[in-house]
Amino acid sequence: MTESYIARNLRAVRGRAYPRLIGSTREPSWFIFDVILPLFTIAGYAYVYKFMDARAELVGYVVLGGAMTAFWLNILWSMASQLYWEKEIGNLPLYLMAPISRMSILAGMAVGGLFETTIQAAITLAIGAIAFNVVFSLASPLLLIVVFVVTMIALYGMGMMFASLYLLLGREAYHLSALMMEPVYFASGFYFPVKHLGFWAAAGASVIPITLGLDALRQMIFPGAIEDAFLSLNTEIALLCGLCVIFIVLSRYALRYMENLGKKTGRLTLRWQ
Amino acid sequence: MAVINDLKVFKDSAWLGWQMEANWTDPFLFMTYSMVKPIAGTLILVLMYIVVTGGETANAYFSYMYVGNAMYMFVAEVLFGVTWVIHDDREHYMTLKQVYIAPMNFYVYILGRSAIKIAITSFGVFITLVFGVMALGVGINLAEVDWLLFSASLIVGLISICILGLALGGISFLTAKHSIGINEGLAGVFYVLSGVVFPITILPTWAQSISRVLPVTYWMEAMRRGLEPAAMRELTSTAGFDVTGMSGVSDMTMMVYLLASVLVFFILSIGVFRFTDYIARKKGKVDWTTAY
Amino acid sequence: MQHAVEVKSLTRVFRPKKKKEGDIVTALDSVDLHINTGELFGVLGPNGAGKTTLLKILATLLLPTSGKAYVAGFDVEKDLIEVRKRINMVSGGEISGYGLLTVRENLWMFSQFYGIKSKEAKARIDALLERFGLSNKAKAKVRTLSTGQRQKMNVIRGFVTNPEIVFLDEPTLGLDVNAARAVRDFIIDWIRSDSNRTVLLTTHYMMEADELCDRIAIIDDGRILACDTPDNLKRMVKMNTTLTLSVSGLSEVDGFDSIPGLLSYSSTKKAESSTTELRFVLEDESCVSDIVSKVLSAGSRIISLQKTEPTLEDVFIKLVGRGLE
Repeated sequence: MTESYIARNLRAVRGRAYPRLIGSTREPSWFIFDVILPLFTIAGYAYVYKFMDARAELVGYVVLGGAMTAFWLNILWSMASQLYWEKEIGNLPLYLMAPISRMSILAGMAVGGLFETTIQAAITLAIGAIAFNVVFSLASPLLLIVVFVVTMIALYGMGMMFASLYLLLGREAYHLSALMMEPVYFASGFYFPVKHLGFWAAAGASVIPITLGLDALRQMIFPGAIEDAFLSLNTEIALLCGLCVIFIVLSRYALRYMENLGKKTGRLTLRWQ
Repeated sequence: MAVINDLKVFKDSAWLGWQMEANWTDPFLFMTYSMVKPIAGTLILVLMYIVVTGGETANAYFSYMYVGNAMYMFVAEVLFGVTWVIHDDREHYMTLKQVYIAPMNFYVYILGRSAIKIAITSFGVFITLVFGVMALGVGINLAEVDWLLFSASLIVGLISICILGLALGGISFLTAKHSIGINEGLAGVFYVLSGVVFPITILPTWAQSISRVLPVTYWMEAMRRGLEPAAMRELTSTAGFDVTGMSGVSDMTMMVYLLASVLVFFILSIGVFRFTDYIARKKGKVDWTTAY
Repeated sequence: MQHAVEVKSLTRVFRPKKKKEGDIVTALDSVDLHINTGELFGVLGPNGAGKTTLLKILATLLLPTSGKAYVAGFDVEKDLIEVRKRINMVSGGEISGYGLLTVRENLWMFSQFYGIKSKEAKARIDALLERFGLSNKAKAKVRTLSTGQRQKMNVIRGFVTNPEIVFLDEPTLGLDVNAARAVRDFIIDWIRSDSNRTVLLTTHYMMEADELCDRIAIIDDGRILACDTPDNLKRMVKMNTTLTLSVSGLSEVDGFDSIPGLLSYSSTKKAESSTTELRFVLEDESCVSDIVSKVLSAGSRIISLQKTEPTLEDVFIKLVGRGLE
């Protein structure tokens, strides 16, 4: 691997991240659709807890979980289905023909998407916290950043793997992503502590990095969350690190395999399947 | 003649919608897909409820929340479906301009696409309700159901959703294709303000005022009264006050409110659609592409 | 000498996923060809002949079912990065990039996938935009471009990376005369300015192939039927030149038989215009002046004169047994 190969790939990451970074500023309706409107769903779940006179932490979980949905949606619709979408709009052959690793294209999407989505989630979190008087505790901000970053790497690694698997799909891609919304909100405990699913169900759901990431973040942000914790913080961080490696390696393999399969079957650049 | 043409367009657009929704896989997988999504969505609320109460689901509020959530699927699916139709036709299949210039009523086209969404969602709603009654003790007793009130409110309610979808279809002309956040968000407005999973009386007073003009609020209340009258009575008596904020309103008056708000929204939707349609043509947005 | 492109017994078969989705299609059937460095090579054939399949294989987007293909000496199946560093591709009617980026941003983004430094990329982009008369559109969003402007942008995208070999898949498809001319002129200037540059052009426009290409392969049903220079291909057609005259005031149509080099002739009276159309089949083109003299000496006026020579279309008809368009 020569230096120029690395430089070329880094430029590719930057190149593909650019439309993502600039996209939201070019289309102001993004703020309404991706920032303001999701607050209503969060409010809906928060009011359910309020109506039942639930503990204050549970409302906090909803606000945090609601903010984190932005990342999961970004993974499903702007990472996993993105290569499918690029194929449909005619860009995929141009990406595949370039002398770079396909991982760079996906990494570019991830970096751009992560930046945009972090802003979106932060705004959601701030507004949600103000609207529902949620109190956050920031005892270890550095560790909090580490947990968040590790969660995101594992999550976007998973998104990259999905993107590879989606490469040859037609409309199934859309439906598969749609299918992974509510079931994952449920299994990963976006709006309630995942521990209440029972150990084995929660353990199974932990394959999705956001399950452990969310649980770990709750433990760090909400003082009363320890009793709701699924696993200890250290165990969750260790598992998340493991997921990072697994998903990055798997996505690399999957991408190679699916691209080759696509070139063999001729479906790689076949549109409107 | 025009009516016959409209019916044909309605039928054809519904057929197209069905093909788009269902022919990507075999019927069994499609049926499973249509069940898993709504049930998982419902289980989120069930778990939230269990986390707070410890697991007692044979309760009036649980039934209230469960039924409201099941019926809300219609709102979420249709409203999101319409936006998706516009954006997908425009930027994916690139057929929006051909459909748009065809000598047909575009409202009818959107209604046809919405109707098939309703048909598909009905299956999920039915399965969810059956699951609730059988597995979770949701308080629906078929012998007590006021079928007339339930059916009438269901039909008017579904019409109201299609009408809202029309306005949204127009707005979608002017908006970029962002992520799926619109699905989470737009229908969420009604989720919060229309007493879907909690009574509107818990909302701030200003928000309750908005709730009282939305057709979905009356639709939810009327449907619950028809489908689970005992649970609705118990909810109020347990709370010891007018917890839904509508206990004093008779069924007949409720239907009148529902019809009146549907009428107002119908006029508004047509206005919004015409305005956005005009702006889209003025700014050349009928066939623009916005993906990033 | 190393060829820019070398293809040996290349075959590509497409099998449908399910039987009801159609028959097995052999898009390329044992294709052999080579393209020399510095050559502007054309592949001429009707829709579905296998042109795009060939390009996709060469551009590393599709694997052959059997056979081998080399680009710049590298195997398209194994040496992917080496091939990709040296190539680019532009397709007619392609929709590339993102509608909300500006033209310059869009081109810059694609240049980054080839590792070009931003400053250098921007300089190249500006120069090419100037060349195509698109400088005033540099800051326009891609979605606002007309079809011609968009295709010019696509062409720039293909050339901004300064490739050694460019694959052009019907690059002037759907363009008006001026836009198509601009693209053709650019292609010729580009290849003539450096002897190490190679272009593989697929088209079904005869004139385009005839005008641009050093050599042309005629392809149909996945098979190369002939491959040579345009002139040599036309010589394959043993077709006589015809001369058609439209004349007025001609009273006598006899007497042409004695002109040497004339094989045959016919005449048709056009009642609506009071003219006569004379059609001569020539064995030797030097007899044209004798024919014209004879017509004029009979007191007639020549209204129009048309000489017809073999075209690539005639070549195609001879090889395939049907027309191209």
